[in-house]
Amino acid sequence: MTTVELAMRIFIVDDEPPARNRLRDLLSDCRNQLALDVVGEAGNGQEALDKLAEISADVVLLDIRMPQMDGIELAQHLQKLPKPPVIIFTTAYDAYAIKAFELHAIDYLLKPIRLGRLFDALNRAREAVPVQIEVLRDLLPEPRNNLSIHERGKIHLIPIEQVLYLRAELKYVTVRTTEREYLIEESLNVLEKEFNARFVRIHRNCLAAKDAIEGFEKGGEEGESGWMVKLKGLEELLAISRRQQHIVKEFS
Amino acid sequence: MNSSRSIRQNARPDVLPNFRNLGIVLRILLISNGLAVLQAIQLANAWTDVAQRLMQIAALLTPVLLTSLMLLWAAQPWLNRLPYRQGALAVMALVVVLTLTIYEFGGELYSPAGSSKYYFDEARYALFSVMVCGILLLYFRLRTKMLSRALHEARLQILRARIRPHFLFNTINAVLGIVRAQPKKAETALEDMADLFRMAMSDARDLVPLSREIQLSKQYIALEQLRMGERLSVDWQMQDVPEQALIPPLLLQPLLENAVYHGIEALPQGGSIKINLRRSGDELRLTVENPCVERGTSASGSHGTGDFQGNYESERSTPPAAGNKQRSNNKMALQNIRERLDLLFDAEARYQVESGNNFYRVEIILPYVKERPS
Repeated sequence: MTTVELAMRIFIVDDEPPARNRLRDLLSDCRNQLALDVVGEAGNGQEALDKLAEISADVVLLDIRMPQMDGIELAQHLQKLPKPPVIIFTTAYDAYAIKAFELHAIDYLLKPIRLGRLFDALNRAREAVPVQIEVLRDLLPEPRNNLSIHERGKIHLIPIEQVLYLRAELKYVTVRTTEREYLIEESLNVLEKEFNARFVRIHRNCLAAKDAIEGFEKGGEEGESGWMVKLKGLEELLAISRRQQHIVKEFS
Repeated sequence: MNSSRSIRQNARPDVLPNFRNLGIVLRILLISNGLAVLQAIQLANAWTDVAQRLMQIAALLTPVLLTSLMLLWAAQPWLNRLPYRQGALAVMALVVVLTLTIYEFGGELYSPAGSSKYYFDEARYALFSVMVCGILLLYFRLRTKMLSRALHEARLQILRARIRPHFLFNTINAVLGIVRAQPKKAETALEDMADLFRMAMSDARDLVPLSREIQLSKQYIALEQLRMGERLSVDWQMQDVPEQALIPPLLLQPLLENAVYHGIEALPQGGSIKINLRRSGDELRLTVENPCVERGTSASGSHGTGDFQGNYESERSTPPAAGNKQRSNNKMALQNIRERLDLLFDAEARYQVESGNNFYRVEIILPYVKERPS
């Protein structure tokens, strides 16, 4: 650490232009007492991920209710950055989220945002540690819309509806879409729990997307007489374990 | 003024039912004929005998019922001026007199020649008509009492549910966001907000001119546009709309709020809300249609809100905690509109919801109430 106090780099994410404007006004009011820099702003989750891949920020002021990807999901993806920023959520009214923030001591600001509260939150952010992904996951009662991986300094989003199957191998999980496959560092059991509406377990190490199931074939390979699943847009057949044979009946 | 008063009378439990209302007339017909069926079953010796007995009862009941309804229709303005007790007595007296008169004129139809039970029959039928009248009046009294409690709560709910806290706080935040750069625009926004809340806090039982509601809705949209900018646009379609038509206040605005909250806000590119107002004959039709997140990718949109709007009607119970809050908000707003329409217009107002893969449409059909010169 250098002895000179570095300016805190702040990034703003909110889908409403006047709300971003308000934050900029307040941050410039803070400037007299706190060294800070507004390094950028974004109007939605994807834009934020793209910009934060280029510029690094210490603190992200993040609105919860946004179209397409809400703030809590975005926060989870941001934790995959090499140096995850401290996140301060902003919200107008979201009783459920606020209760959860209080419980996990996560900082948040209520709109309309007051200068004093913002100032305190920024001061606390100096010592704060990034929130655990697991905690954020608990905050969001619904499954994420995207899986994310960190690739060549950028966070890449994989929309969950494009995923055909998830297969555990060693310490990674392979995520297969029609185009290609990705590796993510998550537990298959946790993924199964989160996305149980969308995927069905066909094997100890494999979850298949229910919507993608095209048909079943008797697989005679390797001396096994079990069933194989054919998925839309995929050549490869996936084996169904003996214990999961009943899904053939349920889906055909 | 006059018409708003006549509507209001319905809201008080101690007021006679409006005999000129189609819904009320239908209820009277259904209940009294239902009672006749019960009576027929009671008198019959076997199931095959029930129809026969019913015919006998209907022979007297039907003419009495129809003439009473006609006379009550004509006497409605006069009855309205009486206190409840006297009014109820007047209705009963009218029906008893009619029953006896029709019985008298019916001659041999009702009392076969040589029957010695003439006086007994007269007393019996008079008693029956008093009882049926009493049952009906009691029913209407209880019904309005029940519905008017809903109306009483409406004012509170307006603040709690129809103008969402989400809207209030976000709008104040947006106004604060522009107050330094565009003070003039911020002033207008605050004025619009004051108008909106004044309307929300006013008496929910008074009817207001349609033009007022349209103006209010435009002010509301202007406030939302302040926050959402170009993402929100509105397409007003009005055909032959009588601006002086009277409607319950805050009928259109909550529909727009739903369209913004569940439809446009969840779409990153935004969209256009179509509002169609038209008059066809004696009816006024209000339609609000908004695009929403496509069902196939319904998980997108913050907290997947696009989906609840479409599905709340079918009572699906899947969305968990945070979702339920918003869903029940939406439901409360729509439920509130439905109850107010029920109370004010009974069967003469209808309410339809249609939702497709990527749109959601609500249509309200209500009678065209003109401003009567007082």
